[in-house]
Amino acid sequence: MLASSSETAALRLDGVSKKFDQTLAVDDLSFAVREGETFGFLGGNGAGKTTSLRMVLDIIRPTSGSISVLGRAPGRENAAAIGFLPEERGLYRQMSAIDTIVYFGRLKGMSASDARREGLALLERFGLGGNAKTTIDKLSKGMAQKVQLAAAIVNRPTLLLLDEPFSGLDPVNQTLLEDEIRRAASDGATVVFSTHVMQHAERLCDRLLFLARGRKRFEGTIDEARGSMPARLLLTARQSPAGLPGVASATRLGDGADGWEEWEVHLAPQADAGDLLETCIAQGFALRRCEQQRPGLHDVFIHLVGPTEARA
Amino acid sequence: MKNILIVAAREFKQITAMRSFWLTLLILPLALSFGPLAGKFLKDDAASRLMIVDRSGGGVAAALTARIDDDHQRDVLGRLSRYVRRHDLAAAGRGQPWAEHDRYYTDADVAAFKAAGGLPAALKAIDRVKPDSVPDFKAPNADYQVMPAAPALAAAAPPDLDRAAEPLLRPADKNAKAVDTILVIPADFALTGQARLLANSDPSPRLMGLVQEVLTRQLRTGFLEGQGLSAQAATAAGQIAPALSVATPPPGGGLKEAMVVRSILPLGVCYLLMMSLMLSGSWMLQGSVEERGNKLIETVLACVSPEELMYGKLIGTVAVGMLMIAVWILCGVVAATATQGAIADFIRPAVAPLRSPGTIATILFFLVVGYVSISLFFLAIGAMTDSMREAQGYLMPVMLALILPVTVLIQAVLSGQGGVALTVLTFVPIWTPFTVLARLGSGIPTWQVLVAGALLLAWTALQLVMLGRLFRQSLLATGQKPSLRTVIARMRARGE
Repeated sequence: MLASSSETAALRLDGVSKKFDQTLAVDDLSFAVREGETFGFLGGNGAGKTTSLRMVLDIIRPTSGSISVLGRAPGRENAAAIGFLPEERGLYRQMSAIDTIVYFGRLKGMSASDARREGLALLERFGLGGNAKTTIDKLSKGMAQKVQLAAAIVNRPTLLLLDEPFSGLDPVNQTLLEDEIRRAASDGATVVFSTHVMQHAERLCDRLLFLARGRKRFEGTIDEARGSMPARLLLTARQSPAGLPGVASATRLGDGADGWEEWEVHLAPQADAGDLLETCIAQGFALRRCEQQRPGLHDVFIHLVGPTEARA
Repeated sequence: MKNILIVAAREFKQITAMRSFWLTLLILPLALSFGPLAGKFLKDDAASRLMIVDRSGGGVAAALTARIDDDHQRDVLGRLSRYVRRHDLAAAGRGQPWAEHDRYYTDADVAAFKAAGGLPAALKAIDRVKPDSVPDFKAPNADYQVMPAAPALAAAAPPDLDRAAEPLLRPADKNAKAVDTILVIPADFALTGQARLLANSDPSPRLMGLVQEVLTRQLRTGFLEGQGLSAQAATAAGQIAPALSVATPPPGGGLKEAMVVRSILPLGVCYLLMMSLMLSGSWMLQGSVEERGNKLIETVLACVSPEELMYGKLIGTVAVGMLMIAVWILCGVVAATATQGAIADFIRPAVAPLRSPGTIATILFFLVVGYVSISLFFLAIGAMTDSMREAQGYLMPVMLALILPVTVLIQAVLSGQGGVALTVLTFVPIWTPFTVLARLGSGIPTWQVLVAGALLLAWTALQLVMLGRLFRQSLLATGQKPSLRTVIARMRARGE
């Protein structure tokens, strides 16, 4: 959450829950996304990511709680400022690429001429300048995905919502999309995207939120996320480091040369690798190597969410 | 409202870009254009060929030939008389039988017509007063062509008649024209009263009646002469016939004709409503299914509310339906004004109600509200299904429930039957538009129109609420086909 209410939030959810019949899809979810931030919404299948984004877009309404989008309640009046790329994508097969973009541009409040001009520029940028008048059913899947992206950002949104944007994209289009996300962010847009692919989040996000079974498990920066996991060190020592202060566990990995041994050490929560190193020097604990292993976001996710729920 | 119109414009554009739309739109004009042509090709105008072998002295053949000619002239006279009456050309021949339409034309009328120069003389007189805008008279073709007896047949002995007639009735040469009927009058016909008729297919009842009548008259005349009457008196006795005075309304003005004519426009609109509903409804359904099937509904719903989407689709589809109906009615009006003949005579008075603002308003009201009401069913089905195949499962019972009673009611209206059933159907909203439109021509009490209109409006408003909820609730629903319980639950759900 934002530190104080004076900080501007592009998106804020307060105690939002959504129930479908007997299923609680989103459970008391609260978080805020700062203006200009790229925010990752991470969770496995059925975690509640899509439901949350649909509530933000007013496609469905929360059972309880409140949502603020660009300082207003969710609604179509926000459409002019929002770009949205859903997980399940499709287009009108008999419409041309440019007509499709113009149609969605107009639904977002643009004039037909502005939407056409912007749409043609986007198609040109995506390498589809020559296909503007081609109907969607005659385009390849990759081309159609580019058209859909163009339709999502034709209005130069200040809030870009992307639901599993990388799913189903070929590597070329994944790169294109990453570039567009960075471009939008550098232009000052707030980007919120849901994903279950941690590498994309690691590369793009300023902050992220872990979601499992509709509940928030973590919100913060990537470093904060990593910090939530006990540090892991690889040591080459003459003896077991298990007795050193701050060490939660030590596992012998094997023998090195000349009597040296390889150890994997997990530190206790709040213990610091630097403090451990200082203690070793002070106590004359023989060390040949001390290497801190940064945990991957995937490991952090599993650690925070739990292996069962992470698989869900 | 802006978004509704943008959605409506897209729907309209998508449907009108379909090839099937244009094919359907052109079906009626094409039918109107090619119908008369096809009729012309299909109609058998060739006269039936009749050969008479009269071995009784030639009197019977002469009488039959004269009678066939008289009947043809009577037919010409009757048609000419209707033509003169329709175009108000009686001034061209005061006193001439073709300028009078108050009786069945007797032999004397026919004789007078022939004596005055027949059709050529009559047309010459008519041409002097006929305005250029009046089409030319088209004389009917003769029904029978009397042919001279073939020598071989004339010379054949009675036992050889069949063999001699065979090549005439069924010629081996396919290019040779067959004789349809051969009438053989034996030499002792006056005594025995026996004659033979050989034909290559069943002779028409009309020809049989005609032959029977002429031969009977010949026998009676001979009998009367045998009883001592002079030949002149006997012939006169055979020609005694009543002078039948006939009073008829002008062409197209008969009671039943008038009812049918008055019903043409409303019934036509009723049919067109049904046709265009089936077509544009299925196109709209296709569009809705495409939005769900192609997974683009979520993208659309991020920009427009389900209500805006629903109203946009409705307006777009109603616009397509109204365009189709307008084009078809326009084609009918053009056909009525640009063509001549009996069809135009019917269509012209049929489109006369278009001059009455009240009738236009009534037709438009039931057409538009009825269209919206029925289209809502298609829309709801489209929102619940992911494929056209799945949609057919819902569509079939809805279509059957709508169409079957309508086809029956149109027949009932035309035949002037239906009674209480028609009144009941008038107040059942899903059939109200069809029933009221169909009944407009044959007469429907004003209070029934008003009550039915109010009920239809209330029903449509209820549909907009209930099916609107179903539409909203079903748009993003996935999985199995919803059960009836689910459908009802979605209709009752007020929010998300």
